[in-house]
Amino acid sequence: MASRPENRRLRELARLRFTKPPGRRGFLVAFEGPDGSGKTTQRKLFKTWLKSEGLDVVTTKWNSSDLVKPIIKSRKAVQALSPEEFSLLHAADFRHRVEHAIMPALWDGKIVIADRFLFTGLARDGARGLDLDWVLRLYQPLLWPDLVFYFAVSADTSGRRVTATRTPNFYESGRDVTDLDDPVESYHRFVTSVIKEYESLAVIFKFITIDAEQSMSQQHYQLRELFREGENRPWSEWNVEAVAEWLSLTGRQA
Amino acid sequence: MAVADRKASVTMPRGTLIAVDGIDAAEVVAAARARIAAAARPRRAGVSLWDASGVFDDLVVAGPDAGIPSARTLLLLYAADLAFRLRWEIKPAVIEGRVIAAAPYVATAVAFGRAAGLPTAWLKELFRFAPRPAQACYVDCSSARSGFIGFGCNQLSQHANGFSARDTVARARTHLQAAARRTRF
Repeated sequence: MASRPENRRLRELARLRFTKPPGRRGFLVAFEGPDGSGKTTQRKLFKTWLKSEGLDVVTTKWNSSDLVKPIIKSRKAVQALSPEEFSLLHAADFRHRVEHAIMPALWDGKIVIADRFLFTGLARDGARGLDLDWVLRLYQPLLWPDLVFYFAVSADTSGRRVTATRTPNFYESGRDVTDLDDPVESYHRFVTSVIKEYESLAVIFKFITIDAEQSMSQQHYQLRELFREGENRPWSEWNVEAVAEWLSLTGRQA
Repeated sequence: MAVADRKASVTMPRGTLIAVDGIDAAEVVAAARARIAAAARPRRAGVSLWDASGVFDDLVVAGPDAGIPSARTLLLLYAADLAFRLRWEIKPAVIEGRVIAAAPYVATAVAFGRAAGLPTAWLKELFRFAPRPAQACYVDCSSARSGFIGFGCNQLSQHANGFSARDTVARARTHLQAAARRTRF
C-alpha cells in the first residue's frame, strides 16, 4: 500500500483523528448473537434512542454490500457454497463494507452500529469446522469495535423464536455441514455449535453479555446504561493499522 | 513468451496438478494447453481457468455505486473462486488420476497482492487451503491484456490513491519473476 514513511504519517493521522478529534470521535458498536436472540430489535431501539439524544448514527448489516451481497445471494440460492467459499465471500463483503461504509462514517465522527460484525463470521465458520486462526486472518487488518454487545440465548430459545415464524433456510440451519434433512433438527444442532463458538469468543474478545432471555425493555435500558458507561472509552491503538490502510486507499489527508 | 519449469514435492495423490502463472491470462492458458498437449495422455488432462465460479463476471455487473473493490477484497474473491475450482475441477481431476493445469494458480494472486503492497504473511495465509502443485510453470508476459492481474490493476487504478494500472502490472510481473527465481520455476 504505502511506503514506510508514508505509512508512519498515515498512522499518526489516524491516531490524531481518533484521539483528538475535531468534534465527537467515531464510535463503533457491534451487536452479536445467534439468530433469534433479538439483537435486530434491540439494535433498532438503540438507534432510535441514540438519534433522540442528538447523535449521528449509521447502521451496517451483515452481508449487505451492494458489491458482494448479490454474489453470495445467488450462490446460496443454489446451495453451491463450501464452508471455505462461504467464509471467503462473507469476508469479502465485510472488507468492502469496512472500506466503503464503516470507515468513512467513523472518520466523520459518527456512531456506527453493526448488526453483526466479524465475530459472526468467526462463530459460524468455526461451527462449520474451519480453523479460526485462518478465518480471523481473512479479516485483517482488524478493526475492533469500541463495544460488543453479545445477546446470549440458549439453543432452545433461538430455535423456538426462529421456527415460530419460518423454516430456517439451508445455510442458516447449517444443513451444508450437519447432513441432516430436517431443517429444524439441523438448526438446533448447528446453532448449538455457533453458541459454543460465541461463548469462547465472548471470553477472548471481552464481549458485554446481555441476557437476551430478559424482556425487551429490560434489555434496552441495560443497553443504554452500558453504552453510557462505555462511550468514553479511549480509542483502541489496535485499530491504527486498519485506519492507516483505509487512508492509503482513499487518499484522504484529513 | 518464456516458460520455465519447476519440480516440487507432490502433495496430492495419483493425478498431477500443474500450476501455470503469469500476468496475462491468454498467454498463461496457451502455455497450459501446450503443457497438456505434451502430456503422456492428453485426453485425460484439462485446464482449470480463472473465474470458473463466475464471481468476477458477477462483479462486473455491479454498478459504480457499489464501490470499487480494494486489493484485499479482490484477493478474497480470487480465493473464493480458487476454492470453487479446487472443489469442482482440480481435486476431482487429481483424484481420478488426471493431469490438470491450474492457469492461473496461487502465484499470480500473490504477485498481484505484493504489487498492491499487501503483506506477504497475509497472502500466504489466505491461500493456505490450496495444495502445493506437483509442477509449476511461470509464463513471462510483457502485458496483462486479459485475466485477473489486468482486471485487478484496472480496478485499483480507479481508487483515489494514485495507483497506476501500468505500474501495478509491472510490479506484479517483477514479483512473479522474483518468485520464479526463488522457487526455480
